[in-house]
Amino acid sequence: MSNTAHSKAAKEFLKNQKYAKWHDQTFWSVRTKRDNMAYGLKEWEQLRETASAIKRHTLTHLDQYLDQFSTNAEKNGCIVHWAKDAAEFNEIVLSILREHNVKKMVKSKSMLTEECEMNPYLEAHGIEVVETDLGERIIQLKGQKPSHIVMPAIHLNHDDVGELFEEKLGTEKGNHDPTYLTYMARLSLRNEFLTADAGMTGGNFGIAETGDIVVCTNEGNADMSTSCPKLHIAAIGLEKVIPNYDCLAVFQRMLCRAGTGQPTTTYTSHFRKARPTAAPMHIILVDNGRSQWLSNPEHWESLKCIRCGSCMNTCPVYRRSGGYSYSYFIPGPIGINLGMLRNPKEHSGNVSACTLCLSCQTVCPVKIDLGDQIYKWRQQLPSFGTANPEKKLMSSAMSFVFNHWGIYNSALWVSPLANRIPRSIIYLPLNPWGEGHEMMQFPKQSFHSLWKKGLSH
Amino acid sequence: MSTKSQILSSLKNSIKERFPMPDIQIDATTYADPLAQFISMTKSVGGKVVELQAGDDINQLIRSLYPDAKEIASSLPEITIATRNPDTTPTAQSLNGTDVGIVRGEFGVAENACVWIPQTMKERAVCFISENLVILLPKAAIVNNMHEAYRRISFNDLGYGTFISGPSKTADIAQVLVMGAQAARTLTVILIP
Ligand code: SF4
Repeated sequence: MSNTAHSKAAKEFLKNQKYAKWHDQTFWSVRTKRDNMAYGLKEWEQLRETASAIKRHTLTHLDQYLDQFSTNAEKNGCIVHWAKDAAEFNEIVLSILREHNVKKMVKSKSMLTEECEMNPYLEAHGIEVVETDLGERIIQLKGQKPSHIVMPAIHLNHDDVGELFEEKLGTEKGNHDPTYLTYMARLSLRNEFLTADAGMTGGNFGIAETGDIVVCTNEGNADMSTSCPKLHIAAIGLEKVIPNYDCLAVFQRMLCRAGTGQPTTTYTSHFRKARPTAAPMHIILVDNGRSQWLSNPEHWESLKCIRCGSCMNTCPVYRRSGGYSYSYFIPGPIGINLGMLRNPKEHSGNVSACTLCLSCQTVCPVKIDLGDQIYKWRQQLPSFGTANPEKKLMSSAMSFVFNHWGIYNSALWVSPLANRIPRSIIYLPLNPWGEGHEMMQFPKQSFHSLWKKGLSH
Repeated sequence: MSTKSQILSSLKNSIKERFPMPDIQIDATTYADPLAQFISMTKSVGGKVVELQAGDDINQLIRSLYPDAKEIASSLPEITIATRNPDTTPTAQSLNGTDVGIVRGEFGVAENACVWIPQTMKERAVCFISENLVILLPKAAIVNNMHEAYRRISFNDLGYGTFISGPSKTADIAQVLVMGAQAARTLTVILIP
């Protein structure tokens, strides 16, 4: 992909101005809900600091914690598998399903199975896979991919879903009321839960000390997926393992507050073993690049991510260009970084999708320096042979500013002035974001000065 | 070499510096009246709270809350109005069509309305498959926050437990909040003495 891949795709998104505006405002209101949650806890910054330190510790002891996790899960009676890459993962899943003669599997949301492209693989081998998170089900019926990691169908409005359900589920013509549509999906999915031979879940956390797989959902679909079928397979990336419950409490408190602005998900479920009437539970631990990424001195901390979605909700570029404008399956600031770890040549087109406003790292509950990392990737672009001259010019200006911290600080300090610069200047043709993108409104106080006053959040 | 040892040794090679475990001492929010906070949070996440008064009959109370319920599922000995029992049900699937499921919660969490429900029945489907879920919760068993909660939870041999806060919900269609996605459509916590 060329370096302007993102801005080209964004143009497509911006064609529907009304929708683009709705998208932007919706995510801003999610961001506002998150702020209310964060302000509501005096210990919020302490939680972020601790969460970040726990992740740094865990990732740099991951060999030990994974060993402990698998030992305890096996003690509980689970069968633990290790997959080095996507292909091995898909093969393991298929072989378990074949062993149990599974024709249909229900599953809850998992970005990992998306990463490994598991569904098409299983379907090609004759297994029916039914997504049970409502958003995931909608895009599965539509033959699409998620456009957000927590709100996968955010790119569709209720009319889109209504028309889709008329066609696929035989719902009433013209009734596009979200309550009605949700109820019809519930009825259809209920039938899938009752007739599936297996249920698959991802996992938000694996607990080394106890061997638990912890899954957080609002819909209860992970629990429905595992409380009827006779087989449960849980799949997690290596980085999901954390030491113990004291650590879990820190992450559980932040995940949903940061992501959707709720105090908790409806369900926080702990799976240690299969139901007494089911076959033993299988757990698959997937590497697929992670153990290598950990060796990257500048970018390993991207692995701290708990997939809350907060960084994309707040990102002015994501809000105004949508998930499909990015070439990697995870969009937004974290997706830009993970895409570069995965395959810099293929995904370098995304690194321009950043204004360096650093709003992402201000909200990230595990304090990943997302914007700084994107900046660092930009500096490496020429070495991937993909830099586009226009953006390169921008980058070198940025690199000048960033390499002179005094200037960086004063540039931020004067940034409120930017709000008064006439549009014609902001939207000079050289600024690739000028076209179609409102310039980010700088806060009246910069993040830096807020931070210095200890007000940063 | 097995995939496991390959992965573990690849991790060992990648790790340059091992960071220490931080001290997890969070100066966490507590509440002057944890029960009042729990009740108000339960309402704000879409649940309902009813208190069983001394001398009142729990079965009558549930009946009055769900006068139209036909199928009631519970394995609790004090629930005499149950028509189904998740301990003796032939399959988990046969609990489908339950109007009201009744389970016991061990303790509630004031900050977010979570109730800890360890699996005590053979088929835990009752917690999710029922149209309406009722949780019996001892009124005195409320902790402030998840730090306290995770120090308190315990598992029996069934190896499953869940925190439930409010009814099943989704906003996946155009960000409109709808109660009753895939699991219970309503949730009532009955506080018992
Ligand atoms: S990078 Fe941080 S903010 Fe973004 S999804 Fe991950 S944890 Fe959330």
